Amino acid sequence: MSTGMESKTKKKFIKEGTFGIYTGFFMLGSLVLAGAIIPRISKYGPDELASMPLAPPSRANFFGTDVLGRDVFVRVFDAVFIDLGTAIIGVAIPLVVGTIIGTLLGISQNKRVNSVVGSLIDGINAFPFLVFVIALIAFIGPGVGSIVLAISLVNWARYARIARTRAVVVNKQGYVEAARTLGFSKKRILFKHIIPNVSSETRAYALSDFIIVIIAIAALSFLGLGIKPPQAEWGGMIRDGKDLLTVGFWWPTVFPGIALCWAGIAVAFISEGLTRRMREVGTR
Amino acid sequence: MTESQKTAASQDAKMEVEKDRNRAALRKTFYGRIIRSIVVGFWVMVIAFSLMRLSPGDPVRLALGADVTEEAVEAFRTQLGLDKPFYVQFWDYFSGIFRGDLGYSYFSGRDVTEILGTHLPVTLGIIGLSILFAALISLPLALWVATSKSNTVNYLFRALTSISLAIPGFFLALLGLLVFGVYFNIAPAAGYEGAFPGNLKYLWLPALANCGSLVPVLSRVLHSSLVDTLDEEFVETGIIRGVRKSRFYWSYLLRPSLAPTVVLLSYMVGVMIGGTVIMETIFSLPGIGRELITAVDGRDYPVVQSIAMIFGLIVVFFSFIGDLTGYLLDRRVTLS
Repeated sequence: MSTGMESKTKKKFIKEGTFGIYTGFFMLGSLVLAGAIIPRISKYGPDELASMPLAPPSRANFFGTDVLGRDVFVRVFDAVFIDLGTAIIGVAIPLVVGTIIGTLLGISQNKRVNSVVGSLIDGINAFPFLVFVIALIAFIGPGVGSIVLAISLVNWARYARIARTRAVVVNKQGYVEAARTLGFSKKRILFKHIIPNVSSETRAYALSDFIIVIIAIAALSFLGLGIKPPQAEWGGMIRDGKDLLTVGFWWPTVFPGIALCWAGIAVAFISEGLTRRMREVGTR
Repeated sequence: MTESQKTAASQDAKMEVEKDRNRAALRKTFYGRIIRSIVVGFWVMVIAFSLMRLSPGDPVRLALGADVTEEAVEAFRTQLGLDKPFYVQFWDYFSGIFRGDLGYSYFSGRDVTEILGTHLPVTLGIIGLSILFAALISLPLALWVATSKSNTVNYLFRALTSISLAIPGFFLALLGLLVFGVYFNIAPAAGYEGAFPGNLKYLWLPALANCGSLVPVLSRVLHSSLVDTLDEEFVETGIIRGVRKSRFYWSYLLRPSLAPTVVLLSYMVGVMIGGTVIMETIFSLPGIGRELITAVDGRDYPVVQSIAMIFGLIVVFFSFIGDLTGYLLDRRVTLS
């Protein structure tokens, strides 16, 4: 009887969130794979004239061609690495910087530093994310490097706020006290005991932040402030096609849009699945 | 005086003390919030001010272009007050804000205050309409899902809100334009009309596109607090007492669950501003967001700086209001 109970709870544990995680990884994996293979085996390069301008989707050009006669199919998949890559770096840098600064702030005893840096963090967070990034890009100029720099300058504060709140709690936990009593060095306690426990929270946020960042990167290119043409990029492709949308040429806009949504939804499913699973572990 | 009257009187006195304490706590949190908002608002001004000074290139030279004489650059610098020491510049800028002087555009020469005055109402209109639409969609949706016993409904709700969050607003807006503007021909692709009822014709589609990211967030939070409320004993009492349906839904379910949603809504104002900037560009609406993009393209730094600052201050203001409303709706909320 006890084995029956066990297998039942086990089964439920596997079920919760797993579908979302697998679907998400499958979607993301297929996109990355397509991004790696399709530009290499294709007849046309991403910047090459493939056919008549604005040829509708056909057997020769699966997604049709854009206003310059470039193959939309190749360009959509050529953009996978630049879009995903910029987003990953744009999440990773703030994640690391924000977690470290937030943790140090959370465990620091200096009240003055705490309140000054704390309100600075609130001040940065008060700006609407996209508006602040746009304003920064106005001053440092467009391009991949500026995007990453601007996003990092804005976004670290969000991670720092989460990390700071969490670090205050972690700092009072028994295992940290125990490590102190055992006489471990401050550095060791910080990196082996506090940061791993703080970063579980910020890493969870990073996953949902990835969706915000990848959309923001595409939005910047869409506004003409992001990754420069002729580099194939989803937001930029949507920008190029948007004026033709209302006169019947939907394919140069809709296909890159679907790719962007595909990437976002994949990560959303993974994030949702992991949250479900964590909650399941928490309630058991 | 009988024994029971005495205890009643002492209980009344106790209640009074309790009420006084509540009022004092409310006043304290209220003042605390005001001070915090002022400090954060001050940082917003400092950051906006620093933007131009942190720029790696010389903003004056960048703004004027490559082929100008050295004298022209210097004259322009003096005219803008950029030759003065840092703290003097900051004081001029800071005191200017309170005099309603936000500088003027490099190019059109217009006062930034004037630009804000003409274009801000459009932006606030889109945001207000988005919130209205989002509330009209989220409230019934969350109520329906929370009170539904079906697993499929709950599962679909989670999946669809996840998907909706991952769809970029600008793509949604373009699809909306394709469907409502081209196919059904009921939404104009561009243009604007200043007066109130007429402008709704131009604003409803951008506001609806904004809902794509607002509705999932709001309905999820509302749904989860509704689920918590449904577990409370007073809900059962309401059902047993046979309270009128409308009263049951409002007083027993929604009101106790609304506080987190209201607080979140005020935080979402920042996200909405970002979305609205894009909507204004797509639908060519004369809002402050389109002014921002034009200013960025033209390297019109004072305008960029002031618009960023105003948006920051708007967010600070709304999070203050949101926290306070949340507190008044549900006293159990603690202001962090």
